Amino acid sequence: MPIAAHRVDDGQTLVIRVDGRFDFSTHQAFRDAYEQADPAIKRYVVDLSDTTYLDSSALGMLLLLRDHAGGDSARISIENCNSDVRRILSISNFEQLFRIC
Amino acid sequence: MSGEFSPSQTLNSFSGSAEPSRLRILVAEDNKPDRMILCALLQKLGHEVFEVSDGTAAVDQFHEVDPDIVLLDAMMPELDGLSAARQIKSMAGERLVPVIFLTALTDPKELARCLEAGGDDFLIKPFNRVILDAKLNALDRMRRLHQALAEQVDQVRQKNEQMLAEQKTARRVFDNIAHTGSLDAPNIRYHASPMSVFNGDVLFAATRPGGGSLVFLGDFTGHGLPAAIGAMPVAEIFYGMVGQGFGAAAILREINAKLRRILPVGMFCCGAMLETDSRQGLVRAWNGGLPDAWLLRGSGERVAIPSRNLPLGVQSAENFSTSMVVFQVTPGDHVLLMTDGFPESANEQGELLGESGVRQVLAGLRSPADAFDALMLRVREFTGQPEAADDLTLCCVAIPELEQARPSTRKPSDAEPIGPADWQCVYEIRERTLSEFNPLPLLLHICMEVPGLRSRSGEVYTLLSELYNNALEHGVLALSSDWKNSPRGFALYYEERQRRLSDTDGHFIRFSLSHESRDPGGRLRVICEDSGAGFDFAEHSARASKTRSIPGSSYAGRGLELLRRMATHFHVHGEGNRVEIVYDWEPGREDDD
Amino acid sequence: MIDQPHLDEAALAELRDVMEGDFGMLVDTFLADSRARLRHLHQLLEQKDSDQLAKTAHSFKGSCINMGATHLSKLCAQLERAGKAADLSAAARLLDGVEAEFAEVASCFEQL
Repeated sequence: MPIAAHRVDDGQTLVIRVDGRFDFSTHQAFRDAYEQADPAIKRYVVDLSDTTYLDSSALGMLLLLRDHAGGDSARISIENCNSDVRRILSISNFEQLFRIC
Repeated sequence: MSGEFSPSQTLNSFSGSAEPSRLRILVAEDNKPDRMILCALLQKLGHEVFEVSDGTAAVDQFHEVDPDIVLLDAMMPELDGLSAARQIKSMAGERLVPVIFLTALTDPKELARCLEAGGDDFLIKPFNRVILDAKLNALDRMRRLHQALAEQVDQVRQKNEQMLAEQKTARRVFDNIAHTGSLDAPNIRYHASPMSVFNGDVLFAATRPGGGSLVFLGDFTGHGLPAAIGAMPVAEIFYGMVGQGFGAAAILREINAKLRRILPVGMFCCGAMLETDSRQGLVRAWNGGLPDAWLLRGSGERVAIPSRNLPLGVQSAENFSTSMVVFQVTPGDHVLLMTDGFPESANEQGELLGESGVRQVLAGLRSPADAFDALMLRVREFTGQPEAADDLTLCCVAIPELEQARPSTRKPSDAEPIGPADWQCVYEIRERTLSEFNPLPLLLHICMEVPGLRSRSGEVYTLLSELYNNALEHGVLALSSDWKNSPRGFALYYEERQRRLSDTDGHFIRFSLSHESRDPGGRLRVICEDSGAGFDFAEHSARASKTRSIPGSSYAGRGLELLRRMATHFHVHGEGNRVEIVYDWEPGREDDD
Repeated sequence: MIDQPHLDEAALAELRDVMEGDFGMLVDTFLADSRARLRHLHQLLEQKDSDQLAKTAHSFKGSCINMGATHLSKLCAQLERAGKAADLSAAARLLDGVEAEFAEVASCFEQL
């Protein structure tokens, strides 16, 4: 499964893993992962440990998640990026919108 | 014009319980009694029957009869059933016309041969009414399913063609808006995708009314129509605002706000803006989401201009930053802008050229002027394809010699030929507004209400902008343009300017504008006063004549010359913090002469 | 020699139902058609054209079975096989059998 989600921290945090290519083909699955989750979720973690590639539609999906999670008040961190993925996030200056580790 | 696309019939409606329809059936059977029985059977089942007695006749009459189903005896004289079946199938073309073989054969191998010849089923003699009915219904169901599918494929194909045509139209509309710019200026070289491909990249260039140019490179997420839709309002904003005298910061703010409003969440535009001011010898740059832009100095020094901002259309207006990096430049310097199609070009092995690839090319240049060609060559070499360049945009702006930078004239809009000819107004900005608001576009707009001044927008803007910049930098901020003589001083100047702008309490700049008609022509009078300690114009102009040879250093001196040259009269009152110009104009002698 | 019916009653009933008023015409057509076919078979035998013989026998077999003349159609099938095997002497013998059975079938039809 390219997208897998599970809850931690007493159910308050949703961790979404993206396996392989994070591009337009994962659009629906990624959306389903957070839209169908419990509305009581307070924090989101996007785990990119196994993400090999990220393109502009993935950036768009992250923005959609942020919008869903409350926009400016959203708490989202993007974790375990490899150097290519990190570079892309950095060029787009997404650290201004997300916590990136 | 185009509504929702829905298939003509859902495929689920092809269940076995569908009502049997009246079919047109062609029967080819040479055995007369058999033929009689079969035709009677078919008619009893409610179908319309056409009978022939051999294969040739079946083929000959196929088109005219236009049957839904064909029943062929497998072994006939003349053209036997199998050959007739093949011919009929090819005549039916894309349509599925089921063929049932009538046979007394019982050998499985022989029966298989019938199906291999193109038959869809066989009916073994003796003819059984129940079986015949069932087979006809089954094959008709198959036929209708096939037809529905073919119709859907057709519809999809048509919709696709329609969408492509719409995209082409959108592209043409877009090009009409985008190509009112000055990408064909001699100091700009660019490569953009060919007309047939709309890859979401936009490239705009315009000359500013006071001289200098503005270039915007944008890369919209997505391709085709969604990208084009975002590009059009941006083009309108860009060209509209440049003409009115707005600078890069204001235009960026407007573009960001517009895109944020109209684009859905998740869509955005990576962009870079370049504002050149050759009179002042500087360049301002903003990069939000594009790969590094590059300043290539004639000296060989290369300065990267990395993306420091979120792409346009993402950030809210309150949080959007328009702060730009400022560089001192001299003629012969070049600035490169590119979209990510460049570093993301791939070779046959799937390796990317990457930012390191770009840096390599730049490191190997003999002169900045070679950069454009070298990069285009490299990308074609690397990918091994001439059309690799379809998905990337590259722009190289050369800093021109000062003489080339002339104030340009905004194309006259569709505004009215009649406007105020005798008027006056005073516009004063104070305190914090001094640091937050640039009054020039508004002042220019007021002057442009005079029809006769519209074709002189370049000169008028230059006059206003010289007066304003003097008043702000030398008057209110008390900055000395001597600082700009050295590269370090240049950076210090702008740092200090930024710092002093944050504390403008107690200061003001006041413009008094008046215009009277002189029939023919008119007289525009502009008085600019500031709260500064004064500025010794006389001393400065004397010093300016000595330092003229240092580019960028004699800005103030050049500015004064410009004012003196353009205005009919030029007075400095008081301590130097009150400057008056009189600008007379006559119809028939315009900016471009 | 098993005494088999020359005509299948069920098949006949079905035919009557299907053909309705044209049943008589069907029978006449079949009888005339079959006599012509039998003459043709004799010619082919004389010409030693075993291939055409097989084809004609096959065709005859088909119409017999449609008319409910089951036994006759089986004999035609045997004749067809002989033709395919190019066994002309067997074909000759079988053809006589076919003729005889047809005569029976014809008289059954005429008695309807």
